[in-house]
Amino acid sequence: MVNHGFEHRGTVNIEIVHKAFSGSKGTLLALKDILLTINPGEFVCIVGGSGCGKTTLLRIIAGLETEYEGSVFLDGKRLIGTGLDRGVVFQEHRLLAWLTVHDNVGFGLADLPPEERSRDIRHYISLVGLHQFEYAYPHQLSGGMSQRVAIARALVGHPEVLLLDEPFASLDALTRMRMQQEILRIWEVERTTVVLVTHDIEEAVYLADRVVIMSRQPGTIRNILPVRLSRPRDRADREFVRVRKSIHDELFAPVGAPLVADNA
Amino acid sequence: MSIAEQNRRLVWKSATAGLTPTLPDNIGRIYIPDRLLGWIIPVSVLLSWELLARLGRVPSNWMPAPTVVGKTIYQLAVAGDLLKHAGTTIARVAVGFLLGASAGTLLGGLTGYLPAARKLLDPSLQALRSVPSIAWVPLFLLWLGIQETSKIALISVGAFFPVYLNLSVAMHHVDPKLLEVGRLYRLSSFQMVRRLILPAALPEYIVGLRSGLGLAWMFVVAAELLGASSGIGYLMVDGEMTGRAAVILASVILFAVFGKATDWMMNAVGRRLLGHRAR
Repeated sequence: MVNHGFEHRGTVNIEIVHKAFSGSKGTLLALKDILLTINPGEFVCIVGGSGCGKTTLLRIIAGLETEYEGSVFLDGKRLIGTGLDRGVVFQEHRLLAWLTVHDNVGFGLADLPPEERSRDIRHYISLVGLHQFEYAYPHQLSGGMSQRVAIARALVGHPEVLLLDEPFASLDALTRMRMQQEILRIWEVERTTVVLVTHDIEEAVYLADRVVIMSRQPGTIRNILPVRLSRPRDRADREFVRVRKSIHDELFAPVGAPLVADNA
Repeated sequence: MSIAEQNRRLVWKSATAGLTPTLPDNIGRIYIPDRLLGWIIPVSVLLSWELLARLGRVPSNWMPAPTVVGKTIYQLAVAGDLLKHAGTTIARVAVGFLLGASAGTLLGGLTGYLPAARKLLDPSLQALRSVPSIAWVPLFLLWLGIQETSKIALISVGAFFPVYLNLSVAMHHVDPKLLEVGRLYRLSSFQMVRRLILPAALPEYIVGLRSGLGLAWMFVVAAELLGASSGIGYLMVDGEMTGRAAVILASVILFAVFGKATDWMMNAVGRRLLGHRAR
């Protein structure tokens, strides 16, 4: 696979032993024994019900959760805190109301010469299809457009990994399907490693190279399923439906002893 | 004003229209644009007041006609008194407001950003806030004398609290989700304040400045009523002493006009700063 000279970049090694939240009602074990390797340029979806720790897992990779036992490596380097090598898109767009699309996209762009900076920003605004809205303000954009801006903001710093936390969950069904096509198109251009968290099984099967299925309390990896379907995928295709059903069955199977993740 | 508001017209259906159903619907209705609606009461009150005063139905030494009040303002302007007194009052408001708002900005920013400063200072400031500000007057007079200093101090106290409170609370309550965006891009504390916290708190801060300015006007009246030899408040006292109701009413109108004008200016500045945001 052509990787634009980034053959070895974007490998994520996750070795989380234990992540707990302590509150007034005691301690909640959020994640336990997460071992996962994500390959460069791979599109991985993490699915699970609410409370399975999938968002916490993504936040650990992003560096927003720092208190946990274990480590996460990016290209062999241990990650401590946040960094521009990872782009993050949240469920809410989290755009800044007082900045234009242009300035929102450029918000985190480190000191570049102004021309280069502007060119990069414009490139990513065009990539997400919003070149006509470069100087619009967030309140003038629809939900889907806002999320496109958030994707451009996450990509503009050329991160090695793009982390998406239920990015399309608050969009209407049609917009969501369009955005799923869009994120694939963008990924095919950028070829960054993508980790997308969702509770939508169909979304995971439509997008992912591999689907990581998580179970709750404690949050562990229940299974990892490769999706060997060529893109663009047909949601009505027999194989597509079969994969979707097997993930569904896996998620709703009676909780027994946690399955050991087959990470090979 | 939104387009919907502009397009909305209040429909008054006259009593006759209701009684004569044979008339087409649009006859017997008066369409009054919303922006004119607010003028109906003041204009009718002024007209009836003028009428009653001219007919001698209200004693002219108590309730001089609006035209007499207008003439009084004109005479004050011609004699140069208006410029002198209004100038003094506006200068007091300006200096008092600037001092109070600056202190409010400083302490509000400090307590809004640093939890330790908030814990240290906020309880004391909240306790001071619960003192009705006019209650400071005797103490200020005793400490600072009857001259300008005590008046400016009182006006500053009035302007301080809304500015302090609004900025402090707004900075404290900036959406943590936006702060996370700042963390993702590894902003320094200074950049966090300048690029996220201050812009996010700006709308509430402007509201605080506006109410601070309003209170500054309120307190200048109190300060000038309680002992001054110039200013619009002094004009009021003078009018009372000499039994000239027209001068008192003229002063009331002057306060209203200047208060409204400065609020309008502040609002215009605020709208300019926030113009692009969703309302």
